[in-house]
Amino acid sequence: MNCNDAATLIAAYADGEADRLQRHSIEKHLLGCTHCAAKHQDLLALRARIRAEVPHYSAPAALRARVLVSLDTARRPVPARSRLSFDRWRWLSGGALAGCAATVLAWIIGTAVIDWRVNEDVAVEAVTSHVRATLGNHLIQVASSDQHTVKPWLSARLDYSPPVPDLQQEGFALIGGRLDNLDGHPVATLVYRIRDHNIDVFVRPESARTPPTALRTVRGFNVAHATGSGMDWLGVSDVSADVLTSFVQRLARGSGAP
Amino acid sequence: MSDPNRIEKLVLPHLDAAYNLARWLTRDGNDAEDVVQDACVRALRYVGSLEGTDARAWFLKIVRNAFYDWLGRNRPKEIVHDENNAVDTAVDHAAEGPEHAAVRKAELQALSDAVTALPMQYREVLILRELEELSYKEIACVADIPVGTVMSRLARARCLLQRSPLLHAIGRQTSRSAR
Repeated sequence: MNCNDAATLIAAYADGEADRLQRHSIEKHLLGCTHCAAKHQDLLALRARIRAEVPHYSAPAALRARVLVSLDTARRPVPARSRLSFDRWRWLSGGALAGCAATVLAWIIGTAVIDWRVNEDVAVEAVTSHVRATLGNHLIQVASSDQHTVKPWLSARLDYSPPVPDLQQEGFALIGGRLDNLDGHPVATLVYRIRDHNIDVFVRPESARTPPTALRTVRGFNVAHATGSGMDWLGVSDVSADVLTSFVQRLARGSGAP
Repeated sequence: MSDPNRIEKLVLPHLDAAYNLARWLTRDGNDAEDVVQDACVRALRYVGSLEGTDARAWFLKIVRNAFYDWLGRNRPKEIVHDENNAVDTAVDHAAEGPEHAAVRKAELQALSDAVTALPMQYREVLILRELEELSYKEIACVADIPVGTVMSRLARARCLLQRSPLLHAIGRQTSRSAR
């Protein structure tokens, strides 16, 4: 082997891509040729430096969470309610073991279970919105601690006017609001803060639908529900369940005396 | 057929590799996150094309495609690049770095800067080979080029690094910042 032949093989050899025959002949050549041996050494040295000095970036935790949320959303396309149940059924019948079990259960218990599942979806959807807003840093579209700023902003963008209670006295600071989509409809989201915890409160007109379970935990977040003042109040937060429940009930009781 | 449960198993273990590639291609953390996020959504769509291929190479290929589409949308000028320019610009950039920067840190940083300054087509094969430790065949699959081209680009990338003025500029820089 001459130096020209060796030149193209040295890199492949250093990368562990040379076959047995090539390895044998290149090794023989490197022993006898200082020029090519130096080239080989340079390559190994460069690799060692790259692995020591050039950072291998790891995916940030926030990205990992965002990816989970988007895969989650893809799993659950949520336009209209009928479509949702249909998709869910199709997914169930096509799918996983757990899905099959749930299908059987649904057959037995009937429509009540379907209602319950839809409510569960609202809670999951609310948590997904909360997580997405927190990670995407768009928790708040109208930032104000003044209920008289937040309320008109929301009312102007919705076909209803959500009450915006001021509970500063009780330790819950209003920090703003935003618009979200819940169950296929635009909904007002009030953002409160207590001791470094954000609480998202989704407020929408009370409906005849079966109310969601009063308290649930979805992916580590507590979801509390209450009805009052003509509205449905759905709170999502990582704050403790008791605090969240009493806060949501307090909101639902209205701005009057407790 | 989309199957998010399967996708999670395919994609999540390679999220670091995906982010690393996107980070080196975009040269920016936020942009890299957007590219990876997009790639995950695409992966869901293309999961049917996986048949028998290695999941990591398959996903990295999607990341790379997502990156080039992102590049077309956000920095179309970079698609046409002059390799000499790319290296020169980076030299200027390094030269104006803060003089008080620790000497040792500057030395460690120099090679990263030189890699960052490589033209895209060389940077991607180098990252895939040296940081992700992919085989020539896998790199050929990810970058959609023949194995021969992988070898020539890799050789060119290494040659550019070894000759990079950034690495040789260290001596000058250190003597300047020591003053």
